[in-house]
Amino acid sequence: MLKNYLKIGWRNLMKDKTFTLLNVIGLSIAFGAAILLAMSAFFDMSYDKFHANGDQIYQVYDVAQTPRGQEAGTSQPEPFAEALRTEVPGVEKITRYLQDGGLVIYGEKEIDLNTVWVDADFFSMFTFPVLKGNEHDPLQDQASVVITESAANKLFGNEEAIGQTINIMINGKEEPFTVGSVVGNVPPQSSLEFEVAVRFEKNAEYADTKGVWDSQYHGVYVQLPSGVSAERFEKNARSFTELHYKESMEAAKRDGAMPDADGLYRQLKLLPLKDLHFTGYRKGYAEVSRSVPYLILGVAFLILFIACVNFVNMSIAKSAQRLREIGMRKTLGAQKGQLFFQFWSESLFVFLSSMGIGVLLSILLIDDFKSMFRTRISLDMLAEPWAVFMLLATILTITLTAGGYPALLFSRLGTIQSLKGKLEASGNNLVRNALMVVQFGIAILLISGTLVLWGQVQFMRNKDLGYNKEQVISFPLNGKKNGHEVLRLLKDELNGNPDILEVSASDNNLGRGKDGSQWSSAIGFEHKGRNIRTNALTVDYNYISTLGLQMAQGRDFKSEADSLGVLINEAMARQLEEKDPLSARLEVGSETGLAILGVVKDYNFQGLDRAIEPITFFMGEDMELRYAYVKVAPENMASSFDAIEQTWKKLEPNAEFLGSFLDENVDRTFQREKTMATMITSGSIIAIALSCIGLFAMSLLIVAQRTKEIGVRKVLGASVASITVLLTKDFLKLVLIAFLIASPIAWWFSDQWLQNYTYKIDLGVWFFVAAGLLAMVIALLTVGTRTVSAAAQNPVKSLRTE
Amino acid sequence: MLLQLNNIFKWVQQGGQRVFLLKDINLEVEEGEFISVMGPSGSGKSTLLNVIGMLDTFDEGEYNFLDEPVHQLKEKHRSNLYKQYIGFVFQAYHLIDELTVYENLEMPLLYKKISGSERKAMVADMLDRFNIVGKKDLFPTQLSGGQQQLVGVARALITKPKLILADEPTGNLNSKQGEDIMELFKQLNDEGVTIIQVTHSEKNAEYGKRIINLLDGRMV
Ligand SMILES: Nc1ncnc2c1ncn2[C@@H]1O[C@H](COP(=O)(O)OP(=O)(O)OP(=O)(O)O)[C@@H](O)[C@H]1O
Ligand SMILES: [Mg+2]
Repeated sequence: MLKNYLKIGWRNLMKDKTFTLLNVIGLSIAFGAAILLAMSAFFDMSYDKFHANGDQIYQVYDVAQTPRGQEAGTSQPEPFAEALRTEVPGVEKITRYLQDGGLVIYGEKEIDLNTVWVDADFFSMFTFPVLKGNEHDPLQDQASVVITESAANKLFGNEEAIGQTINIMINGKEEPFTVGSVVGNVPPQSSLEFEVAVRFEKNAEYADTKGVWDSQYHGVYVQLPSGVSAERFEKNARSFTELHYKESMEAAKRDGAMPDADGLYRQLKLLPLKDLHFTGYRKGYAEVSRSVPYLILGVAFLILFIACVNFVNMSIAKSAQRLREIGMRKTLGAQKGQLFFQFWSESLFVFLSSMGIGVLLSILLIDDFKSMFRTRISLDMLAEPWAVFMLLATILTITLTAGGYPALLFSRLGTIQSLKGKLEASGNNLVRNALMVVQFGIAILLISGTLVLWGQVQFMRNKDLGYNKEQVISFPLNGKKNGHEVLRLLKDELNGNPDILEVSASDNNLGRGKDGSQWSSAIGFEHKGRNIRTNALTVDYNYISTLGLQMAQGRDFKSEADSLGVLINEAMARQLEEKDPLSARLEVGSETGLAILGVVKDYNFQGLDRAIEPITFFMGEDMELRYAYVKVAPENMASSFDAIEQTWKKLEPNAEFLGSFLDENVDRTFQREKTMATMITSGSIIAIALSCIGLFAMSLLIVAQRTKEIGVRKVLGASVASITVLLTKDFLKLVLIAFLIASPIAWWFSDQWLQNYTYKIDLGVWFFVAAGLLAMVIALLTVGTRTVSAAAQNPVKSLRTE
Repeated sequence: MLLQLNNIFKWVQQGGQRVFLLKDINLEVEEGEFISVMGPSGSGKSTLLNVIGMLDTFDEGEYNFLDEPVHQLKEKHRSNLYKQYIGFVFQAYHLIDELTVYENLEMPLLYKKISGSERKAMVADMLDRFNIVGKKDLFPTQLSGGQQQLVGVARALITKPKLILADEPTGNLNSKQGEDIMELFKQLNDEGVTIIQVTHSEKNAEYGKRIINLLDGRMV
């Protein structure tokens, strides 16, 4: 029997090669795309799940009530961790965690390695297995370091790493360490990344911050004993917070902050390790959002759905040609179950082969996919048991629904009805039309999503940020020399070059440079009885003019001699609530305070997802400079860039030159948006292509079914145009309905997403009209080709085919 | 007694009114009979045949087939019943285009779950008997109308039914081909198979031992 089914199934497939091909192509593409997308989504969701103790590890963060509202942050002061361990019950293990670039020197080699500064518990809490060397408590000795396999290769090549001595630049001095252990490379799905791990006590800030509760600059991770819940620990920690943050809590109360729901002004909270990758603190609380992987999964699902709709619609439409077979089989004694199984096994065949081709496609395309979407998925994921299980489960569900629905429909047909060869059409057409509406709705949804995303990316790219990003190159001062010293040398060297307009420096980059670093530093102090918080930036005296920033009030720094004054931006001036900010002094640093020399016009020094925050510019020989800024003439930019690189190579022969224009840096900060936009764009292109395949197939079938009608109408004198309109308008009606349903949904999603940005495009109605029109035009072209040719055919010919 | 129809009514609702397709049909058929059903177009001949073949339902009355009350049987039981005892021959042959002659003949046997070797023997037997051995690997579209109908009859006979229902079996054939089919029916009837055929041709009706006339769904 099965053989009979397969035989007839195969012959049916072969008889109508166009449809089989359309189906298999559509489904294969859908499967391939869905596999890749699902892989990247699951990759994302598997972040930080590889730690054996993962369920008991938390990142400590605190939520503080301030007059500006609730603020949350993960930075802690140096004594915090030790105090927490001794004062709050239920800390099994604890480690401080500071990630900071580290210049590692071994012989002639100077390499900037990703360095973390942690406590001894680090390696017993997190699962980074030791490959060689000391396996137990690898960081027990402060003079030893742990490096990863790749770092060992970079430093020592084939030499034995254990026992080697390397130097790390700390506070401008080389300090020697012994390599105690080598661990495996950090897995790609890890939020904690490092190549070198050094004891926390060795970090550059340590000496200045030891025992100081006001200076918060590193993260803390705790491991609770199994059985202790995070909530319980958070409650236990209340008295600890009460004790150590008494002053700041009272200050907050005094300045008018409102207590939180528990009536408290500051709370210590724990964030589960597995949420780390998905958490942001921008809104004043730990916002855990897995929307990106879910969005990707959603797109994968939609693509599969569209392909399945094609399959269902084609099967139903084609069933008309098999009605007699169905009826005949019934008179010969076939039962419902047998008919169901026959048609179902035919679809299973199509699905299995498409799935096979889809897997092949995903294997072929994985490298392009990886570079396009910056994901680090690997094919090994496909071989894992859960992946195999997922594939099987997917194919089972899909064949059961997409294959099962038409099969069920056929098996239920009345014998006489099917023998007469006529389907009672209305019910099926309703399903078919509904499915096509959903299909086009999805396409329109994805197209408008694409338009909105690109619109926002383009907007962010072109927005005037308030500084000159086109003409300024920045690069990290990543050599051995002190920042001020190397800056002076740079200025001297570049002085003669007419294309180099100005050279300056600061301790932070704008945007995200080639070194990938992005951070912010902030300070808080009291001003006239109120707490003030501001971003802090150390600059060279000509920073403002180099970047093309504008002064709103007062004057710029004139020279290095102005180091007792500061500049602030307008947001800071507003926060100070001074009539004349220039007459105010800021009580930071020295006893007498710092004079405000001038107010800089607000500019977007952070991402466009935030409003402009207060910032204060400091200057001083004793403060570090980490990035150089070079303003070049608009002519000969490439050769200027080369000149700067050459100069840097000359000054720091062993350091890498990581310069880039500021507009590139800014572009890098919305990499996430760009990746998402590329992903949604590809998704919508595939969705549209699949919808078109379906539409094309449907137009073939419907035209075929109406050949006789077309012939009769033409004999009676209908024109080609009127017949084309007749055949096309039904499809267009569906697209229109889809548009009406999908646009509000698309609007809602886009609006939600844009809420994340302080600076955003206006969500005009044109985005959606354009998406609808695009879908309409594509549908018209797809259907039109077939209908016009059908309408133009000689009527005698079409009558004869009946 | 092979089958018995008592006061069978069948109707459809049209514009709030009952339109009768069959009205008060009473019919007894003994084993070995050869009945021709005649009547003008639209008189309900096909409808009656479909009711007898259990492909269609009726609204009132009793129908007993081999002492089984068909009107009370469940669909599954009913299909088992006709699968076992009834063979259909249609005007439009109704062969499956995607299957060869051999496979078309084999199909009813598959649904009866007959073993492979037995199937082979039975199909070979039929091919032999109808002289179409040479055509067994051809597809229906490669046969003439008469040959197709021959295969249709062969397929109806292969399960050795007690009753053959034929709806205008010669409608699409020329008179020579029609005669051949009628001769075949006569021969089958002589072997003991009960036959009920619908026909428009007086000449073909003569092959039957009894003629039933229908007019507007009523036997006259
Ligand atoms: N589903 C239906 N709904 C309404 N009327 C029907 C339906 N099926 C059949 N009829 C009507 O029942 C009557 C009998 O139809 P039937 O097919 O039995 O006629 P027939 O005697 O076989 O005619 P012919 O010789 O043309 O084949 C016809 O008038 C037909 O219009
Ligand atoms: Mg009829």
